Amino acid sequence: MNPKEYKYTQEHEWICTESRNKGKVGLADYAQLQLGDIVFLDLPAPGTQVEHGKKMGEVESVKAVSDIFAPVSGRVLEINQTVVDEPGLVNKDPYGAGWLVRLELSKPAELDALMDSEKYDKFVVQLSEEESE
Amino acid sequence: MMELLKKTPLNKVHRELRARMMDFAGWELPVWYTSILEEHRTVRSGAGIFDVSDMGRVWITGKKAGGFLDRLFSRRPTRLEIGSAQLCLLCLEDGGILDDLLVYRVETDRFLVVWNAANIEQKLGWLKRWAGSDPDIVIQDESAHTLMLAVQGSAVSRLQSLKGLSHLPRFGVAQTRIDDVEVLAARTGYTGEDGFEIISDATNGVRLWESFMRQGVKPCGLGARDSLRLEAGMLLYGQDMDRNTNPFEAGLEWLVELNAGDFIGKSALLEIKRQGIRRKLIGFQMTGQGIARTGYMIVRGGQEVGKVTSGGYSPTLDVSIGFGYVPIELATIGTDIEIMIRSKPVAAQVVSRQFYKRGARNEPKGI
Repeated sequence: MNPKEYKYTQEHEWICTESRNKGKVGLADYAQLQLGDIVFLDLPAPGTQVEHGKKMGEVESVKAVSDIFAPVSGRVLEINQTVVDEPGLVNKDPYGAGWLVRLELSKPAELDALMDSEKYDKFVVQLSEEESE
Repeated sequence: MMELLKKTPLNKVHRELRARMMDFAGWELPVWYTSILEEHRTVRSGAGIFDVSDMGRVWITGKKAGGFLDRLFSRRPTRLEIGSAQLCLLCLEDGGILDDLLVYRVETDRFLVVWNAANIEQKLGWLKRWAGSDPDIVIQDESAHTLMLAVQGSAVSRLQSLKGLSHLPRFGVAQTRIDDVEVLAARTGYTGEDGFEIISDATNGVRLWESFMRQGVKPCGLGARDSLRLEAGMLLYGQDMDRNTNPFEAGLEWLVELNAGDFIGKSALLEIKRQGIRRKLIGFQMTGQGIARTGYMIVRGGQEVGKVTSGGYSPTLDVSIGFGYVPIELATIGTDIEIMIRSKPVAAQVVSRQFYKRGARNEPKGI
């Protein structure tokens, strides 16, 4: 379910690189399921420098608010205006139309520290098990 | 040690529906089944069903039951016709609010009190203290043996199971059968829509629930229960009022009969009214971006002037709304205020607390 070619953080952001130093960032399916209906997104303006592991925005659902962390360091090239106008896209299509920002990576080596889909799948299964205990 | 959560007779049904569960006043209840937004909109345009078995259900019976309740409640239950219900407050001697509740008059000397899940023991203790050992006042908490469903929405009176109750006026109460289950039904609710609250024996709960589901009624959780009542301008005890607030500042003066007989708290309330209130519960709507959540600070001119007592997103208006207490001089519709959203002041405006009015919007005209 979590795309194979994407990389993931422990905070449930994903990044999908289109070249060595450019990629789209979004929220993983697990995050949108936890949050429920997403109604508001606060994303960094194009040109903003974001830093790996640091807060770069906020997501609000009907029930909760949560920070969005930058999976890697870099500069914001563009934001997904469609998802800002219709935040529910994150729920409907978290890995596609619900992407949040496009980044230019300043330290592509940071990607190596992220989880691949296989590792992330296990991580999520473990979290779900802890939850149901 | 973690306290074990109480479970309603429908707990298994909620789990089978894969609801997301949460702790609400010591009860394990669904927050949502599929989506708060979907559930909210279904109630505004169709019909939804809520498990509200967390609400306490206490029978007050006996020859002196009516007179006893007249002394305790802010509106006299003995003025009720048989087969009707009313909202009222349970006040402390100092005028603070111990709860808001519904009292049904089922027979001349048989009253049912439906109150919030919080502080049940304390409230029962309060009632019993004033009843003393009078054999003509019998107080019986039937919550554990019964369950309560709220079937709410603009389309409820068209449901097969409720057609027989469509004559019942708002706040009317009927002892009847729904799908061959004996129930006590009242045309009441907490959503701002038409609807019924239905009490039955706990063992029949699943049967009733499933019958409504077969008729296309959508299960709805606490998330929608909260956003619906907030839009409708209805207060939540423990957040928007409590023992430290009085009915005047909470905008609940209409629930208080000051020119009738005596009741506990009345003399304090008369004095509060004479002195005038210094703060008031307002409704506000965000004009800037972001969602005002319960507990956020209300500011004006860089100064804290209050706290958001209930806040959230309004699916109908697609904007954030809320309630909060502010000094009386700011409690005028149109006043600009700000809500601190994670250390940033965001613009908001004082508006009427009734954000959503049934029939005023979202309903096709001419039908």
